[in-house]
Amino acid sequence: MKKFSKFLVLGIFVVSLFSSCAKQPTQAIDAAKAAIEAATKEGATVYAADELKKLNDDLQAAMDEVSTQGKKFFKKFGTAKEMLTKVQADADALKATIPAKIEAAKNAAIQAQTEAKAALDDAKALLEKAPVGKGTKADIMAMKADLGGLETSFAEVQTAIDGADYFGASAKAATIKEKATVISDQVKAAIEKVKGKR
Amino acid sequence: MKTAFFASALFLCVFCSSSCQNPPVPPEVEKAKSQENDLWRAGAPLYASDEYARYLESLRLAKEKLIRQNVRLRWFRDYKEVRSDYIVILAQGDALIQKVQVEKRSQSQDFSQRLGWLEERMGKIKALTQLMNEHAPVRESLARAEVVSREAQILIRNEKYTELAPKLDLIDGHIRQAEEALFSILARYADDSQVARWRKLADDTVSESRRRGTTVVLVNKLARTLTLVKKGKEIAVYEIGLGKYGLSDKLYAGDEATPEGRYKIVKKNAQSRYHKALLLDYPNEYDKRQFALAKKEGRIPAQAAIGGLIEIHGGGNDFLTNGCVGVENSVMDRIFPEVAVGTVVTIIGSLESVDKILAGLRISGS
Repeated sequence: MKKFSKFLVLGIFVVSLFSSCAKQPTQAIDAAKAAIEAATKEGATVYAADELKKLNDDLQAAMDEVSTQGKKFFKKFGTAKEMLTKVQADADALKATIPAKIEAAKNAAIQAQTEAKAALDDAKALLEKAPVGKGTKADIMAMKADLGGLETSFAEVQTAIDGADYFGASAKAATIKEKATVISDQVKAAIEKVKGKR
Repeated sequence: MKTAFFASALFLCVFCSSSCQNPPVPPEVEKAKSQENDLWRAGAPLYASDEYARYLESLRLAKEKLIRQNVRLRWFRDYKEVRSDYIVILAQGDALIQKVQVEKRSQSQDFSQRLGWLEERMGKIKALTQLMNEHAPVRESLARAEVVSREAQILIRNEKYTELAPKLDLIDGHIRQAEEALFSILARYADDSQVARWRKLADDTVSESRRRGTTVVLVNKLARTLTLVKKGKEIAVYEIGLGKYGLSDKLYAGDEATPEGRYKIVKKNAQSRYHKALLLDYPNEYDKRQFALAKKEGRIPAQAAIGGLIEIHGGGNDFLTNGCVGVENSVMDRIFPEVAVGTVVTIIGSLESVDKILAGLRISGS
């Protein structure tokens, strides 16, 4: 009987050892979540939406694994921990790439702004050179008014850049460039028209 | 006893080996994972948020069932129910993808239509600016509206519908500014009593031509036409050009406006720098009274002179005059022999009120 009791105690000890010594990897979960949060704050939602979604999916898969193991009699959180560690590492890596992506978007916006400015300056210079004599003066005046509107819109590109809306700034600058180029082409056509009349 | 022990051990080994293989997790589980990604990419969280939330909840419950099966000892696992749940979820996801696509198509059509209306308004206003030279504030606002409109087109093409509503509001704002500027320029042309006065002036001139059997010239500034009337009958209509502020009534020298009223040709100049010219007797007595009144009321600069040298001349109709009426040289060649010193030239703003056009702009924009 004494021997049986010893075995029973030992058995209970072994079973408890296997079933409860493996605790939920709370720290790894918190670290992974914090890493994703940090990447999101850095701007992943805007600059790496697909990668952020994958990270969240990976985190969910890791949480499913935690949940699976949590329900098992013999809990093994090793795989879940590995998954969570990977999520954290991936999130950290993603966060590290965001500044470069933001910088690239900013540079693209500034480049587009420069090109738009050049297109506006070209159109302006052409309008100054354009023959303002009879036959073109009304057209030139209309184009000057159009260019005035584009110049006002151009100021909004800087506002968008200042507000870190680099994609919006690029789109606006590209449109202004396109419209200014159309005006330049019209001025050239007006100049040709005058040449043709001479 | 020994034989029984070995037999039991052998049976246990056979049993274990036969059921050692995991029962396969239903393939629908992986499919659902991929489907959820597709839904996210398609924009389900934006375009069908409630249904997407329900879908995710169903997925979560099914996943819990899957986990419950996964924690069982492998030979007790049964994925039948899990599989049937996932089949239902996949069907739910397929329907959701359809819904998202329908919603996106509908939003695309809706925004394209709204943008189309706005562009139509822009087109109408732009067309009206062709009738005037004092259009700078109108065209500037239109140019700004056009920039945003182009941005909106790109957003529609890239299916970024959530960013579109503020853009359309912005376009509407710029169009309204253009309309306000246009209304202030055309206010006189929407004033019925003013239009009635112009119409009477034109009618009187034509009646006089009919009564006396003379030729008269009728200039309509808004319509940009010069009509030659002989014995009360219209014999020719030509296109004209005006000055920078041609739609305004001339008040003083240098205002680049074209006078309105009844004038007479006082000189025919066949050697004009603008091909040929017909000098009018501006300012007439009425103009002088108006000038004095405007000066008294401080509506014009104190040092302003009343001006003169208002002509109908050649040189083209697509240029800016300083207040004269410009026509093509070939037109001038045809008008010149038809008129004489003393021929009546009546210049009016318009025969029709632009009220309807302006009201139409507002209605289509609302």
